[in-house]
Amino acid sequence: MGVVKGDQMILNIGPQHPSTHGVLRLEVMTDGEIVSEIRPHLGYLHRCFEKHSENVTYEQVIPFTDRCDYLAAMNSNFGYVVAMEELMEIKVPERVDYIRIIMGELNRIASHLLALGVYGLDIGAFTPFLYMLRDRERILDMFEYTCGARLLYNYMWVGGVSHDLPKDFEKICIGFLDYFEPQIEEYNNLLTYNKIFVERTADVGVIPADVAVSYGVTGPNLRGSGVKWDVRKDEPYSIYDRFEFDVPVGDGHFGTLGDCFDRYWVRMLEIKESVKILRQALKDIPGGDVHQMLPKKIRPPKGSVYRRTESPRGDLGYYIMSDGTPTPYRVKMRSPAFTALSVLDEVSRGWMISDVIAILGSLDIVLGEIDR
Amino acid sequence: MSKYFANIYDTVNTLWTGMRITWRHMMNIKRDNVTLQYPEERWPRPERNIGFEHEDYNVIRSRLHVDIDDCIGCLKCERACPVDCIKIDTIKAPTRGEDIPDVKHTGETSNGTKKAMVVSRFTIDMSECCYCNLCTYPCPEECIFMVGGPNSSKHPIDYEFSEFDRTDLIYQFAKKLSPEQKDGLQNPKPEAEA
Ligand code: SF4
Ligand code: SF4
Repeated sequence: MGVVKGDQMILNIGPQHPSTHGVLRLEVMTDGEIVSEIRPHLGYLHRCFEKHSENVTYEQVIPFTDRCDYLAAMNSNFGYVVAMEELMEIKVPERVDYIRIIMGELNRIASHLLALGVYGLDIGAFTPFLYMLRDRERILDMFEYTCGARLLYNYMWVGGVSHDLPKDFEKICIGFLDYFEPQIEEYNNLLTYNKIFVERTADVGVIPADVAVSYGVTGPNLRGSGVKWDVRKDEPYSIYDRFEFDVPVGDGHFGTLGDCFDRYWVRMLEIKESVKILRQALKDIPGGDVHQMLPKKIRPPKGSVYRRTESPRGDLGYYIMSDGTPTPYRVKMRSPAFTALSVLDEVSRGWMISDVIAILGSLDIVLGEIDR
Repeated sequence: MSKYFANIYDTVNTLWTGMRITWRHMMNIKRDNVTLQYPEERWPRPERNIGFEHEDYNVIRSRLHVDIDDCIGCLKCERACPVDCIKIDTIKAPTRGEDIPDVKHTGETSNGTKKAMVVSRFTIDMSECCYCNLCTYPCPEECIFMVGGPNSSKHPIDYEFSEFDRTDLIYQFAKKLSPEQKDGLQNPKPEAEA
């Protein structure tokens, strides 16, 4: 039987489309209802992060890293300061390490909640989105209580953090976790096990493990394909090697391994693991002065460093090159969302237009980070 | 065939589970209500007073305010700002630490530091500010701060400082100097010295 070729049509999705998580334009070549090619056009949110960093001092780069991945700004800060500390050979006090991990994991939960909620919204489920945003709000409240800002924190500094935790933060955070853990079951009942949702996502947009690896897809998207790779476990930075947690991988829960549902499901499981890490960290957090190791002047020696960290979207790498002056010679950011977007074309070929939305949402890209 | 009916059963069943959850939340509307009627009601801003040696360090991110009488014109905040939205001009004061009544310049800050500079211009463009708070840390006199929260005693909270014109968001903190006054400060008259 030959292939019937219908009329080719080009369909534009975006730049302002609710499911593009930022400003992204997709040029979709369709054959009838079937997608034959997708060309993502990016750059709408380009703000010259890398070039701009060459003109500001090292501490002034941190507010700009916030604005790359604005949904997980703590993790963006985290990657930069860890790289800088490696370059300057600073050993931060233990309390700082713990605070950073608490903040990073809280932000991972917040980011995943938004990713899952918006994914439901893309598929057509409105209520879970509201519930997840309600709980994300409580995390943002905790951030506001800690550092004054709700979204773009500039909280982690090279050699420390800007403020110590508020006095009763541990109590508030434990209270939140106690409230939050039963909510996960509620989300599952509301969205995850919903048959309509499962039908929309299971078996759709399968990324086989070898394709994911060859495209450099990382983070939950890679783990959804069954590859157990987590920088926190395999190349521990900060003090992640002290905590006990699992790296959840997709298992083809309702369909094929590596489908949209698996990517969604891995995020849901990761939230649980983050809760686990948070409980351990809150239990053993030591006292101490968080400003003890702040350098008077940040002037790293000549040299360069590349350090990758696990942001909610995957391997977030910073390459920093110093020429011995107070401003960086070069800052390069390896964005996990960029590689996730690059795989979209290959994965969506042969699927319907409405599935493209499901695939795009399951990749959880943030355009601020892709365009930088 | 049985798969077909099993699917329908699953769909109805899981939908029903979801509906039960939403229904439960709707019945508990008093307890589960998380939104406020914004202009009439507002969330309280968190108050806290810890960190960074000083008892009352600032953690709120809001509009910036400068106590200009305390400012010594050291330009540290201007240099710390990553987006260069603080602009300061200074003129060397004729005598360090002395009041100049006709430009309303006080010679000493409230901490007792003697001022060597007259600040002739201090503008912050709040439409450019990214609220990173980097400018408030280096200030030796702690006279630049974000309003509200722990600083409520210095300046009340200003929630939504919205304006109709973007230029109105450029806040001027320095005392207005006329060109003649500026000139007089820059080139002191010979008879004043004599
Ligand atoms: S808060 Fe940041 S951006 Fe705003 S004026 Fe201060 S240093 Fe500049
Ligand atoms: S750092 Fe403080 S004293 Fe110095 S110029 Fe700025 S506001 Fe004035």
